[in-house]
Amino acid sequence: MPPKGTTRKKAANDGSTTHTPTLSEQLSYLHSPRPFKNPNYTKNTNRRTKNLKTVLGQEREKERVERERRRQERDSQAMDIDEVKKELVEVNEEISTYLSIEAPPSVLPQRHYCDITGLEAPYTDPRTGLRYHDKSVYELIKNLSPSAAKDYLAARGVNPVVR
Amino acid sequence: MDEAETSNIFYVPTPSLPSITPPDSYDRFRSQSVPLIIDNGSSNLRFGFSTSASPQSSPNVIAKYKERKFNQSLLLFGDAIDTESGAKSQGKTPWEGDVLLNFDAMEHALDYAFVRLGIDAEGIDHPVLMTERLCSPLHSRALTSELMFEQYSVPSLTYCVDSVMSFYHNNKPISGSTFSADGLVVSFNTASTSVIPILNGKGVLSHAKRIPWGTQQSTEYLLKLIQLKYSSFPTRVTSVQASWMLHNFCSFATDYPAVLRSLKIPVNMRAAERIIQFPFAIPVIEEKTEEELTRIAEKRKEQGKKLQELAAKSRMEKLAKKENDLRYLTDLKEGKSENKREWMHVLQVEGFDDDAALDETIRKLEVDVKRARKKDLDGQDDVIEEPSFPLIDVPDADLDEEGIKEKKKQKLMKAGFDARARARREKEKEREEKEAEERREEGERENNFDDWAARLRREQETIMNKIKERGRRKAALSDRKSAAAQARMKNIASLAADERVSKKKRKAGAEDMFGADDEDWQIYRKLNAAAVSSDEEDEFNQLRIIESKLLMYDPTFTAQHTHASITSQRSALISAFRPQYEEGDIEGSARIHLNTERWRVCETYFSPGMAGVDSAGLGEVLQSILARFTEAEKARLVKNVFITGGPSQFPGLQERLYGTLRPILPPEMHLGDIVRAADPSLDAWKGMASFANTDEFHQVGVTAEEYQEWGAERIKRWWGGNCNSAV
Repeated sequence: MPPKGTTRKKAANDGSTTHTPTLSEQLSYLHSPRPFKNPNYTKNTNRRTKNLKTVLGQEREKERVERERRRQERDSQAMDIDEVKKELVEVNEEISTYLSIEAPPSVLPQRHYCDITGLEAPYTDPRTGLRYHDKSVYELIKNLSPSAAKDYLAARGVNPVVR
Repeated sequence: MDEAETSNIFYVPTPSLPSITPPDSYDRFRSQSVPLIIDNGSSNLRFGFSTSASPQSSPNVIAKYKERKFNQSLLLFGDAIDTESGAKSQGKTPWEGDVLLNFDAMEHALDYAFVRLGIDAEGIDHPVLMTERLCSPLHSRALTSELMFEQYSVPSLTYCVDSVMSFYHNNKPISGSTFSADGLVVSFNTASTSVIPILNGKGVLSHAKRIPWGTQQSTEYLLKLIQLKYSSFPTRVTSVQASWMLHNFCSFATDYPAVLRSLKIPVNMRAAERIIQFPFAIPVIEEKTEEELTRIAEKRKEQGKKLQELAAKSRMEKLAKKENDLRYLTDLKEGKSENKREWMHVLQVEGFDDDAALDETIRKLEVDVKRARKKDLDGQDDVIEEPSFPLIDVPDADLDEEGIKEKKKQKLMKAGFDARARARREKEKEREEKEAEERREEGERENNFDDWAARLRREQETIMNKIKERGRRKAALSDRKSAAAQARMKNIASLAADERVSKKKRKAGAEDMFGADDEDWQIYRKLNAAAVSSDEEDEFNQLRIIESKLLMYDPTFTAQHTHASITSQRSALISAFRPQYEEGDIEGSARIHLNTERWRVCETYFSPGMAGVDSAGLGEVLQSILARFTEAEKARLVKNVFITGGPSQFPGLQERLYGTLRPILPPEMHLGDIVRAADPSLDAWKGMASFANTDEFHQVGVTAEEYQEWGAERIKRWWGGNCNSAV
């Protein structure tokens, strides 16, 4: 039991005393006591840290189930058809999950910017698909290797299929 | 030029080691349920008690690392990871973008926070106020709640949205009354940017929107741009350096197309660039001192002399041997006995076929010895004496068989000798002609300089045009659909056709007459596009000669006019965009010039499509959100537009937002100035702290009993928290 009323000492360097503790060892808090942790709580160590895709998939599932449930609830409660419609609208508005908050894709027409320089790009090279600003940039593009051209396109998010 | 540039050159900062500070004393807070505030951010973890003025803040990264030197396992957090270079690669963050996923890391992070706060009681006996993301996934919330309640035994836990709290802090109500401000909160986070409308002090979260573009993505984009621009950079650019560059040099452009139009001019681009100097290493050239150089030269000379002596000795030896042989043979010849058979026998022993062979050998030896002697004496080749061919003039009839053979041999030798003499004469004639030509040209040059220069220039131009034509033809052939390539295919097809000769001619008995005329074979030259014809080389040689003459004598023809420099000329724009340094300039080649990237990276907030993220930009999102409110509500919202979050400190953001919002609102609606949080990084925590000290705080938390009853996912609905799965 750690004594009450004393300030916690710095993370001591236990074990080997054959060397002066390095900076990183002093900063490490691996061995500092943590009395505030509940020793009876065993974390379910078999549980894998779920990755992002599964978590988002779960969210989507839950949202769908929730929507279904609410719709059925309203169906069973509502007497009037108009009421049902209004409440449905309300229901759909209320449910806001991580995914529903996401911004929709852009509907504005895209502006073309030069892949090499970043200036405005009125032209596109038919061979590689890169957008370029003027003919001197085009000279540069002509001398690019295919892998370099693909890298430029990937920066824009265009991933060309094997040509 | 150097002075202007030195103000532009910035050096990449070297990371500094963190210092050790002892953890806080817990005495003040023991046995008092002072709320514990944790701002769980994707980049920084900020924690503290609500009565503190400011939180402790540290990057939200854990590294469990086993040190190799002393075989110690370490658990490092935040800045401490910089002390161990190997730990950086092992760093794990609890967040993946915007979703809390790694709970081991979260647990370690919370451990660190509580250790720093000096908590030594059993269990955390303070109500906790934590942040979560806008509409955070239930999975993340469930696991966090589980951690807090079960592992740390907190009495109550409240979740809030950080940006709303920051807004609260900056629009604090008068003490006692409830929070009822209106406003539009734009929150810039590490991996997302969100817009939340707030009406009557309550966040209308159903109308909020989140753009998946934040500092993390901007840094990656900047890094990618730099790697593309400087594909052969000597050192690797890390994301830490990229984020440093992002924070210090990038800004929002109020009118991006206008900025681009001004940067189009190379002079402006040069003026707007920032030069980042990376550390470089000058290779140590071993400069040998004068003495060493002379010593080496002497050694080499000595070696040369020794070799020469060896060669001379071997020559002397050979000469002596040859003389011996000669003497032996002449003696033998003189001592020739009368008996023919004995003589023959002796000759065969020596290895000669007959008398004549012996005589031949003797003669050759004599000549060799004489020549060697002469070489030794005066080292010159002697004049080729005309060998005599006595038998040629004698008619055939007079000679016997041997004589005829001799005569034939001598005829051949004479023919060879004549041919060689002729060749020699021709060469001399050529030399004289060339000299005469040069003299003529010099005369012309001196007398009529302009004409001569003009003539040479015209020649140079024609040759350059020919080279360009050839290049164009080659490029046209490589393109499958060009006219040249199709003509070539037609030629091939016609050559390979079985019906090369028309039917009429075949009936008349004519056959394929290809090849009868020498010109027919020229077609193969055209077909074989890949062959580098010798014409090209000749042209280049000619060009070089002309250019060297012009360079020497014509003062107005400089190195810039030569063919080589014209072809490798880079436009002014490209040289301003990415200046090229010379080969040996190591300092220069370790520089990065940032010109268009400074605005391009920030522009992605407003159109993520530039970087391949298929999402609406900030301007579009604002427009769509405002469209869902009535006019009256809109007016209330835009009166108070508030930006918060670390990235909101980019220069130019406020003007840009104002410029984006103004056009989409009716002109009479008043758009207030865009307000930035007083302290963008810490205001969320401060807002939380001040909220925790109010009475309302105790009503909105989930207590331990409620957690047991409802499970980990439910929370209570209140103005600062999320409303998914809320009661």
